[in-house]
Formats: sequence, C-alpha cells, structure tokens
Amino acid sequence: MHSKQDKKPSIIWFQGLTCNGNTHSFLNLENLKNLLDKFEILSHPSLPSTQNFNTVLSCTLECDIFIFEGAYDPLMKRNDTLVSKIVEYYAKSTKHIIALGSCASFGGLFKASAPDRNSGLLFNEQEKSGPLLKYESKVINISGCPIHPEWLAYTLHMIAKGREVEINKLHRPIELYSTLAHHGCTRNEYFEWKVDADDFGEKEGCLYYKQGCRAPMTHSSCNKILWNEVSSKTRVGTPCFGCTEPDFPRQNLFATKTNMSIPEDVPIGIAKRSYLTMAGIAKTFHIKRLEGKLIDYKTAD
Amino acid sequence: MITKQLIDQIEGEASIFFDIKDNVVDFATIAFPHFRGIESILKGKNALDALVITPRVCGICGHAHLMATVRAIEDAYKNAGYPIELSKKITIIREFTLVMEIIQNHFKWIYLTIIPEVAKLNNSTKVQTPLKGAYAASIASKAIAVFAGQWPHSSYMIPGGITADPTNIDLLKAESYVDELISFFEKESIGVSLDAFLSFESCKDFNTLKSDFSYLESSLMNIKMNEKGFAYDRFLVIGTHTFSKPSKLKQTRPFSIDAKYVTTVDTYSPDQASYAKNAQYKNAFYETGPLARAMAGNLKIVKNMHRRFKDSAYTRVMARVFEVATLLEHAKELLSGIDISQKSFLKSVDISKITARGVGVVEAPRGPLLHTVDIKDGLIQEYKIVTPTQFNIGSSTKTNPTPAQKAMMKTTQDEAVFIFRTFDVCSVCTTH
Ligand code: SF4
Ligand code: SF4
Repeated sequence: MHSKQDKKPSIIWFQGLTCNGNTHSFLNLENLKNLLDKFEILSHPSLPSTQNFNTVLSCTLECDIFIFEGAYDPLMKRNDTLVSKIVEYYAKSTKHIIALGSCASFGGLFKASAPDRNSGLLFNEQEKSGPLLKYESKVINISGCPIHPEWLAYTLHMIAKGREVEINKLHRPIELYSTLAHHGCTRNEYFEWKVDADDFGEKEGCLYYKQGCRAPMTHSSCNKILWNEVSSKTRVGTPCFGCTEPDFPRQNLFATKTNMSIPEDVPIGIAKRSYLTMAGIAKTFHIKRLEGKLIDYKTAD
Repeated sequence: MITKQLIDQIEGEASIFFDIKDNVVDFATIAFPHFRGIESILKGKNALDALVITPRVCGICGHAHLMATVRAIEDAYKNAGYPIELSKKITIIREFTLVMEIIQNHFKWIYLTIIPEVAKLNNSTKVQTPLKGAYAASIASKAIAVFAGQWPHSSYMIPGGITADPTNIDLLKAESYVDELISFFEKESIGVSLDAFLSFESCKDFNTLKSDFSYLESSLMNIKMNEKGFAYDRFLVIGTHTFSKPSKLKQTRPFSIDAKYVTTVDTYSPDQASYAKNAQYKNAFYETGPLARAMAGNLKIVKNMHRRFKDSAYTRVMARVFEVATLLEHAKELLSGIDISQKSFLKSVDISKITARGVGVVEAPRGPLLHTVDIKDGLIQEYKIVTPTQFNIGSSTKTNPTPAQKAMMKTTQDEAVFIFRTFDVCSVCTTH
C-alpha cells in the first residue's frame, strides 16, 4: 500500500464535541514542520489548510486520512450540517480514520454531555458499538486526554511510509499502548518497596497507595515519551488519572480506593493475592534511604 | 437582509449574522453553537475532581481554569473556617505557569491568526510563517511542564499548594526556556532587544524596526485599524496577580471593583441557538484582556497609543503584543524569586469536612475568568463558570451591544470579521 512519492497523503482534521486540547497538544510537536511537509493538510482547526471549512462540510472532497477529535454526538451540527453525515461520508471514502483523544476513542469526558447518545467513533466506553462499526478496519484509536503529540506523529509517519500500524483489541497502536504509564516513573523504587508518599508536594514516595495514581492500571507511554519532552504527571507528584482508558474520567481522582487499606485495583496482569504477598513482604523491610528525604538541603525553615 | 458568516479557525466555532446597510455593518449578532455542559458534569462530584475536569473546558487556557478552580476551593476552605496560607514559593510557581500559558496563547494568536488575517485585508503576498507561533508556544509549554508535568491539561495545582517539589535543576531548566523564548521574540518577532522594546514610549519608535511586529503594526495602520473597531472605552480587570491589579476603568479613570457585581444574562441571538451568555459588571459591558490589563497597569506605550487611537482594533492588537514582552520579563523575575526550600504543599482538613461556597477569579489570556463552587461535605452542589469571551463578545441587542458587536458597527463585513478576531475569540470557553 505504498503511497506515491509525488502525491502527499491528504488529511482532514475534523472536530466533534471537544475542548481543542488535542489540537493544542499536537502544535507542541518538536519538528512539526518536518511532519507537516509530508502531508497535504486539506483542513485543520488552526493550521493553514488548502480547503475552506465549508467545502469540507459539503462532502465533496476526498482525503487519505480522516482525523476526528472530540466526542461523537449524532445530533451535533457544524454550520447546519449534521456531524453524523460528515463522519459517514469521510469514513466511507477515506483510507484511514484516526479517532484522536479519549473522547473520539471512547466517549471520554464529553460523553457525559449527553450520556445516552454520545460516544466515541468505534467504541462507547469499552463496548464496540459506535457509529463507525462498518468501517472498523480503518479505525485507529489514539486515546489520551489529551494525546501526546508524538503518538499522533508516529501514527502519521507510519501511514505516510505505507507501513502498517499494528493495533490491539481497543484499536490502539501496540507500540504506544503496550506499556503502562507506570513504566519509567521516577518513583518506581518507592513502588517496589511499598513506600508511599506522605503527601502531595514531595519528591519521595509512590502515589499508588493514597493519592490515587492509576498508572499501574493505565496503558500509555507517559513516562517513556515524556510530556513536552520534559516531564510527566507522576514525575511532578500528580497522580495519573488514567486518561487513556475507556473509563476516563473516573471519580475521586485524588484518592486511592481501598478495602481495609488495601488498594482495590492492583497492577494489570498481577493476581491480587500475588500482589498482596509481595507487598506484605516488601513492607516488612525498613529502608532508611527510601524513608527519609531524598535530598537534604541546608534550609532556613 | 441578514447574511450569515461562519467563523472557523478560532477556538471552536462561531457564526456572525450581519445586517449590512449601505455596504457597512448596521448590526451583527453572534452565535456560539456547541454546548458541552461542564457545569452539570461537575455536579455531585468530589470537589477535587474539578481540578481534573475544568482544565478540559479549554485546550488553550486550561491552566487558567485549573487556577480558578484551585482558588475557588481554597476560598471555600477559608469560608468554612479553615484558611489556607500559601508559601511564597507556591504562589510564584502558580503565577509563573499561568504567565507562560498566556504567552503561548498570544504567540499562537499573533502568528496563526492575526498576521495571516491582516495580510489578507492588505492583499499582501507576504509569505506566512504560522509555525513560528507553534514553535514559541511549544517552548512556553515546556517551561510549564517543568513544574506542571505537562501542558495542556495539567492538574498540578491543588488546594494547599502544588504537587511538584522542584529542584534547582528544574529552575535552571525553566529559566533556559524563558531565555530561549526571549531570544526568539527579539530575533523573530520584534527585531530589537526586549529591554529596548519595553522602553518604547511612542509609536514612532516602531519606525526603526524591521520585523514581524513592524509588519503587523504598519499593516494595521495601512488598513486604518487605528480608526476602527472601537468598543466602549471601558475596561475591566478582576483577577489579582503579580502581573495585574483588579480595576475598572472608564477611559483612563480607574475605579475599585468587587467580583460580586459580575452577572450574566442570556444572549440575544435571533438567527441561531447560542449557548453563550453575556457577562456584565454592574449591568454594563466592559472590554477585558490584554488591553484592559495594560490600561489598568499604566503601561506607558499602550496608554500612549490609547491617547491617540483610543480602544481601536490597532490598540487592542498592539496591547497583546506588548503583553508578551511585559510577561516575558515578569516570568524571569518570578523565577528568580523562588526559594526551593519552602514547602510545596500545606495540608489542611480533608475536603469532606468542607461545606461552603468559594469563588476563584484569575486573569486568563482573554481576561477575567470566574469560578464559583458550592460544596457540601466535599461534594459539588453547583458550579458556575464565567469566561472572558462572555464579557467581550457575547451577543446583545442593537441598543445595548456587547463590546465586540459595538466594535464591528459601521465597518465593512471583511473588516468586521477581522475586528471580531482582534478580541481573540474563544468559543469553547464561552459555551463550556
Ligand atoms: S507514582 Fe504512580 S507511576 Fe509512579 S511508581 Fe507510583 S504507581 Fe507507578
Ligand atoms: S499519566 Fe495518566 S492521566 Fe497523565 S496523561 Fe498519562 S495516562 Fe493520562
């Protein structure tokens, strides 16, 4: 499926019910120009485009890649044209459909705007029952609230090179969503030895036990492909909220749900009993290095 | 006859319905069609969850929403009898990341919106460089991420402080991003040193420059934007920050204010359903945002422009460019005032002990953003958001137009659309 050298693959980036967060996250991409040079941007919410928006709405264009950002609301209209009609038209004629962000992938936050009718393009939360079921084989979900720009860049580069983007059951690229957000967190050693963070605002301790960190239950590469090339939530002491998963947003995001002080959810793929055995043993050790301050500044207060 | 024009490539989408008489705009109404119901999504949730939900009101100014939420919850703590004292470090870091978000917003607006639009009106064939805006914005975002973990959609501010515990390495990193931005701004945007630019006192000083800024400035003059786009010549700043003082100005006369006089009413939009509201202060319309902040802050060069060209589209655009300059300098000062040995977080009682109302006001890129939360036993009963675009744009009647409606009157339709964009329209915030 090699695209011809002389014709760049074309992109229409279209928005449903959204906050524009994926658009703005994408604009942070390092070497954005290198990526854009490989494509023809027919329409984008903020980048220069070769077609005007009303032409996109007229459903007379063709594109190779249809990127949809935001939740799908069957009753929503863009300038008097039903989004459902536009989505159906481009889904049918395009080669690749990218559901960009957790709203487009699973419904996300803006499913809650109208829970009975809003969904993602292919999935409604976990369930594969979205409007694009017919075009299932074309759909790639890049979940995240927002997406990391590199995740989209990777997917687009692969498509431009005519290479297959391998996806998993939830239609997410396996190279991006096989790891957990926990992988590469600077607090990993605290997790291993079961040293929890006393509170927010500290370098020391793991946020899994009290502060609600969802990273061991969340597929993403946030601590591997760093945000803004700089950091991640957990590195700055914010718990992971599991924003790439179909159940985002959950409730009580800054606290760990526990039963008799045992976390209700344990890391993916680990039996609760195994986890508890291991945790129990780890907790019996007292490791001074991990219990004190990591860095002892000479302080005035 | 009423003609509809769709405005895209803003934050979200808007429609303007023009009534053209004798080739100029007699009146225009504005509709913001997309509604997401964030306020009702928040109902019944743990108040702390708002720290994750409200940044998602808006992809370009989510950090301002985060700060408004944290201030609202901290105000509720105070009203419930548990006042929270923030360390200087916490205050400075919060201010720094907010300032960087304003800067990234303005860079995008300058390069992705206003320069291309001004070129169109000038029939200019100048090669456009929109990606300069994205590049500068990405550097500003890196500086935010040093403390906030990521941008957009960070939730690192929490009642009592911030989640981060930065080191000197982090501070140096943030400083170097600010330095990189300043040299980009000097070289690419203004064509002169930041210090020299900030010492300008009159528009004549621009004549020596050859840069993106001077192109923008002369193009605005060329299409006479110094004679068009006037709103009420009344300004409003409500958020208290290290870079802004709350004040209400009628022309240049300042008055003290109180956020409790802000009210909202439904918009007048007869041709299409709109989910926007009109925000007013003591039942009157005021312009908010960079021009208002510059007037309230007595910024010499902007006051000078205002003396000559009042609140024209020219003055409004120039004030935004100057705000980038003043905020870049301010960002450096902020960083130099951080003492990393101070606490990042001060623990207070659990949120479940809080039953109170709290109000949080911040200056977002486009002006005052107000969050009001009613909390009962830690759960949100009611959440209300008032956004800057509701002050500036909204949509009202011909006899009592909003600032943007007033500014579009008596201009051609093309000019009116440009003037509309000088307010830096955020439809997603407006309808939340
Ligand atoms: S804070 Fe979260 S991501 Fe980091 S080690 Fe603990 S559980 Fe893993
Ligand atoms: S760390 Fe978790 S909440 Fe944060 S962006 Fe990654 S998956 Fe989303």
